[in-house]
Amino acid sequence: MATKKRYGFVIDISRCIDCRACLVACSAENNVGMQYTRIWVKDTGVKGEFPKLTRTFVPYNCMHCENPPCVEVCVSGATYKDKDTGLVLVDQEACIGCGYCVEACPYDARYLDRARGVVDKCTGCIQRVLVGQQPACVTTCVGKARLFGDLNDPNSEVSVALKNAKAVQRLDYEKNGVDTDPNIYFINGEIDDPSIQPRDPRYTFAQESWKTLLVPAVLAGIGLSFVGQATFFAKQLMEGEKEFEE
Amino acid sequence: MTKSTISRRNFLKMAGATLGVVAAGQMLPPAVAEAARRHNLIDADGDGYIPTLCEMCVWRCGVRAKVVKGRVVKLEGNPEHPHSLGRLCARGQSGLMTTYDPDRVLHPLIRVGKRGEGKFRQASWDEALDLVAKNMREIQEKYGPQAMVFSSTHNLSQVQFENLLNGYGSPNYGTQRSLCFNAMVTAFLLTYGIEEPARNYDNVKYILLVGRNLTEAISTSETTALMDAVARGAKLVYLDPRFTKTAAKATEWIPIRPGADAAFLLAMIHVIVTERIGDCDFVKQYVVGCTDLPTAMAEYTPEWAETKTGVPADTIRRIAREFAAARHFALAHPGWRTSNFVNSFQTERAIATLNAIIGNVFEPNGCLIAASPEASGVPLGKPPQPPYPRVTAQRLDGVPWKYPLVPLKLGVFQEMRDAILTGQPYQAHGWFIARQNPVLSLPDRNRTLEALGKLDFIVTVDVVLSDTAWFSDVVLPEASYLERYDPLAVVGGKIFVRQPVIEPQGEARSALWIYKQLGERLGLGDYFQYADEEDYIRQQLAPLGLDLEQLKQKGYVEPPPKENGSEKTDYVFNTPSGKIEVYSETLAKAGFSPWPAWEEPPVPAPGAFYLLTGKVGQHTQMGTQNNQYLHKVQDEPRLWINPEAAKGLGLNDRDLVEVTSPVGNVRVALQVTPAIRPDCVYLTPGFGHLSKGLTTAYGVGASDSVLHVTYTDPISGGQALSQTFVTMKKG
Repeated sequence: MATKKRYGFVIDISRCIDCRACLVACSAENNVGMQYTRIWVKDTGVKGEFPKLTRTFVPYNCMHCENPPCVEVCVSGATYKDKDTGLVLVDQEACIGCGYCVEACPYDARYLDRARGVVDKCTGCIQRVLVGQQPACVTTCVGKARLFGDLNDPNSEVSVALKNAKAVQRLDYEKNGVDTDPNIYFINGEIDDPSIQPRDPRYTFAQESWKTLLVPAVLAGIGLSFVGQATFFAKQLMEGEKEFEE
Repeated sequence: MTKSTISRRNFLKMAGATLGVVAAGQMLPPAVAEAARRHNLIDADGDGYIPTLCEMCVWRCGVRAKVVKGRVVKLEGNPEHPHSLGRLCARGQSGLMTTYDPDRVLHPLIRVGKRGEGKFRQASWDEALDLVAKNMREIQEKYGPQAMVFSSTHNLSQVQFENLLNGYGSPNYGTQRSLCFNAMVTAFLLTYGIEEPARNYDNVKYILLVGRNLTEAISTSETTALMDAVARGAKLVYLDPRFTKTAAKATEWIPIRPGADAAFLLAMIHVIVTERIGDCDFVKQYVVGCTDLPTAMAEYTPEWAETKTGVPADTIRRIAREFAAARHFALAHPGWRTSNFVNSFQTERAIATLNAIIGNVFEPNGCLIAASPEASGVPLGKPPQPPYPRVTAQRLDGVPWKYPLVPLKLGVFQEMRDAILTGQPYQAHGWFIARQNPVLSLPDRNRTLEALGKLDFIVTVDVVLSDTAWFSDVVLPEASYLERYDPLAVVGGKIFVRQPVIEPQGEARSALWIYKQLGERLGLGDYFQYADEEDYIRQQLAPLGLDLEQLKQKGYVEPPPKENGSEKTDYVFNTPSGKIEVYSETLAKAGFSPWPAWEEPPVPAPGAFYLLTGKVGQHTQMGTQNNQYLHKVQDEPRLWINPEAAKGLGLNDRDLVEVTSPVGNVRVALQVTPAIRPDCVYLTPGFGHLSKGLTTAYGVGASDSVLHVTYTDPISGGQALSQTFVTMKKG
């Protein structure tokens, strides 16, 4: 989906030291519940045999996909891709907490906040971005691993970093007719480790039936009631509004 | 991530309730809010950013605190402070949760139960301070002022703490330096005449870190500078028995045998001086002992070092040549916590020597700057005060009568504890502790608790019920660093202020206020000639003609430029010879080796392991484990063991084991990982709290202090924290 801006992240894997300043910054900035996190540092764990060892840390959060499966499955219309920024957001007033989007996200980048009964996720700190600041995780990144900016703008820090990068990888999920086309670009490191790969979206029977049967039924219901109301209104118009006059 | 003991919602309710009492009908209480409004830092609603200084570790980054309606909601690194450059680490980011910790002590407490039972009653400041003063006076009258021990480390308010102890007349000053960097500081003082040389990463091409785990023992701007250098292509060689996160970022990780760092470094010096590949001109001009150095290092061949370190001779030779080839662009990092073995002083002397012989110690090209990063050169003022009373009593920690080369301001903390316990050379009776946690920090916790039992009176100043506060008779609640002023801090030529961004919660008060109140009750008012915190800072600024209001606005002021800006052309070091003393007459006179030298460290018996300690990026020592944000992002503190060693003992990952050292035992879960040598185990320090007043931290992990045996380096006074050997069995 083409948006005015295409905000995304460039992650320099070679620079992440897994200090988790980003995790704390995100939690404080966004009031994230103590048992939840919106962002992660994935860790391949220590690989190899002593003393030939490697370990890779991969900062990770919502990919703000061009084609987000979460938006696709949202039944209430709460999850959407913002037309101006390209960020994938949740209108928590509209969210009914069904959790379908959590199951559908190949990156496990969303969680159901049970206390509040709504889904929560990385917003790219839109509240900061709209006033010209960087997301909290990016501002504080001690290793300068996290970069953020408009990928549509060829002169943005992220575009320049991509241009200069030796190797660029993405965690695109391209299967079963889905192509997420994610907006996180990983540079200067490997992301081939199985622990970092996207998973298949989970669509439950209820979800499928909701999408294929219930939603049309509900829509039809809404449609019918609208027709009914319209008819009633038309009838009223024709009959006049005597009962409202005093 | 581990369990969370309290939901954020509940936390907010509790914090709100606490704050509500203070704020009652007024979102931002007057003093702080009014000042912040006056400076346009916050708007009419009480929203805005207020600059101040972090205190989640001693690096002290600049902070911009976001305040919304009188609450701190977010901390940002101050781009204008050289230590943060706009960034904060996890601990810095979490600082608001230390301030809003539901376990904060917000009123003076007086013990009512037995010591360690945790039963306290709330008291007024007057009652608590009177009680402290009464006990301190009694001890002074009965046993002399030396019977009162004072300890605190590296706070900005330290200068007034020192007034309290020196005015009172006690020689017994306990810092925690001997558990940390005595070896580094003493070695660099003797070699360069400075405590801690600054590091310059701007042009560095070759970095040698000897156990300096900079990506986990984080000093924000320095860690960023290291990552910048590595990204630029600098070679990073890292010596550590553990594959830490720094090892994961290194070009070359060398899993050296614990205690053998000095052998590796001495062999590097051997190679450089025998092959004459150092900076000979520099050495001749500035280094004492250069002509005899090859002879003094003759025995330390790479082949010899291989037998000590387990590192192939060819590797050592290659690294020495690479290091020398990088010349002024090479850096052997001085290290920080260097309390590993009783030979750690020699390791540090060898590091000092390595830097000297490649001539990298000069600005602007050199990577090691022979000036302390804390040397300010800014002549701040100070309230007037009389001279201190003369102290004739010996120090309990053996400085200088037993440890002649340990600087008085560092001291030997573990020795002081032992003197309290043994009553030799005299019996101490009271201990005044300001935001320090000897119960968890000192080696051999059982011994520390036993020592506390010898004392008539213990008072602790802290923000929470630390393990030490838990065993105290009186606890005085200090305002958190976001709630108070402290004396000024000079960094990079600028004068920075720590100022309150919110009003203190409850009855918490600044250290400046607490020490003054106590001083006045002890008849020491002349050492505390300031009306309040702002007056103290005004007196500091007075000689420079600078204004507090201006300082509060930006969080810093720049002092007027100095008159003579002449560049030094011929460097004189602050040593007896004025040169870098690779050969030290001072050491020779004290009966120690004048050269950096090898001292054979002990090795574990068959079946025993080296117990290693070290930092994680999410905590500072033993003081942050109760912070809920850090608790949320920490790893479970398990005991690391190599798979080969675990297999040999029939142990598996997550098995609960009983670990036994000569002085204690703990139960802890195992983490089987190849990231450690098979002859070592590792435990993250700062866990295993005793205080039930720490509801988040209590019950998590085990304390390495229970296991640590007390070993002291006779030269630097440093505690040898990696010299304890342990065995384990399933349990």
